[in-house]
Amino acid sequence: MASASQLPTIPVPGTTTPFQFPPTYSFPPFFTPQPNSSTRLSQLQKWSSLIQSWCRHHRVYRLSLIEAVESPLFHNAALRKRISLSEARAILDWMARGEEEGGGGKRSEWIDGGNKTMAWIWWRRPEEWAGIIMDWVEGTGQKNMVLTVYELVEGEGTMSQEFHGMDSDIMLKSLTILVKRGKAQVFGSEGQEGVKFF
Amino acid sequence: MSTRRGVGLGAFANRNQATQSYASHGANLRSTHLSSLQTQLAVFQSLLHTFALEHSSTIKSNPTFRAEFARMCNAIGVDPLAASNIKGKNGRRGLGEGGGNFWTQILGGDMNDFYFEVAVRVVELCRETRSENGGLIGVEECRKRVGKGKAIGSGLEVTEDDILRAVKSLEPLGSGFSIVRVGQKQYIRSIPKELNTDQATVLEVIQILGYVSVSMLQLNLNWEKARSQTVIDDLLADGLVWVDAQAEEKEYWSPANLLDDSF
Repeated sequence: MASASQLPTIPVPGTTTPFQFPPTYSFPPFFTPQPNSSTRLSQLQKWSSLIQSWCRHHRVYRLSLIEAVESPLFHNAALRKRISLSEARAILDWMARGEEEGGGGKRSEWIDGGNKTMAWIWWRRPEEWAGIIMDWVEGTGQKNMVLTVYELVEGEGTMSQEFHGMDSDIMLKSLTILVKRGKAQVFGSEGQEGVKFF
Repeated sequence: MSTRRGVGLGAFANRNQATQSYASHGANLRSTHLSSLQTQLAVFQSLLHTFALEHSSTIKSNPTFRAEFARMCNAIGVDPLAASNIKGKNGRRGLGEGGGNFWTQILGGDMNDFYFEVAVRVVELCRETRSENGGLIGVEECRKRVGKGKAIGSGLEVTEDDILRAVKSLEPLGSGFSIVRVGQKQYIRSIPKELNTDQATVLEVIQILGYVSVSMLQLNLNWEKARSQTVIDDLLADGLVWVDAQAEEKEYWSPANLLDDSF
């Protein structure tokens, strides 16, 4: 996605710069599902990239639709336009489908299955996170060392990293990927996991 | 008397002679004219050559200068693109051989390459944005986007004139790219489909008012409801307008403003 490369890769913790909405956000029809299928596709793509950058900016990993429809993301108070709950579901459904199925490339995933009220927003997919974590481990010479998951997420050593403060579920998902690739080993009991990188 | 009235057999010979001398005189005049024109043209070409060589980098880099240069060429009947079409016709001769192309000789092909590059960008942009704008993009928006470029440093500073020329250079390909004028604005149409008068009118109204609704069309254009609705439905079906259903009455907007979308 183009949006991934445009934003700074190093987050500055604690900054509250307001999110810069794209011009599309001020386009009233953007909030109405378009009847024309190719227009609709373009609309879904724009929503997908907006949701991803918004979540990225606010460090949101799991999006609650009930809350989101009342937030500025889906409710443009200035225009008095909003995305309805069902439309929000439709957008996230589209994002959740792979590109080969005519979707948005698995950029979201329902957490609560059929209820569809909570979703992961993959502004970085777990595989991408895995790569970033591995780069950091290699870059800081921490191969063959044991780290706790808590350290990875909250430790001072990762302050400058984008994955600092990340949802620990996602951290574990990403680490699982590294385990499958034979790049890491996770051990310890739930909530106290440690990890060793190879 | 006889010479004037041409009576008798001698008149035929006389008349023949007269025509012949007129013809030879004419041919004389023509050839002197031609040779002087040829000299003028040669002088002009060499001057233009020197000029173009001297300023080739400016021509390439400075859009205003390029536009002026192109305008000058146009005024004296030299069309850089016409020259590039000739190249196409003589293509069989092979590229290495002499090259009948005036511009290739002068600028080493840079001028054509330049417009072709712009054309490639225009085609890319039209394809990328087709689903959001139904294949109708303003020349001005197009210029801005080409100017910005996608990657860092890939921006190409161009004028509207450059864009128009670039689109024109696509014509021989039968690409279906054309320039249409709606109201005050020029658009590039990348889907070969005609806009009917009603559709063009509605797009023009949208240009001015920002959006339209069925009742606005009824009021402003004195159209019947059915006519207004049909035109709007057609525009919607072609992806040329977007609908906003969260207003009192459905409003129809042109996606033209969406283009400077940075996402």
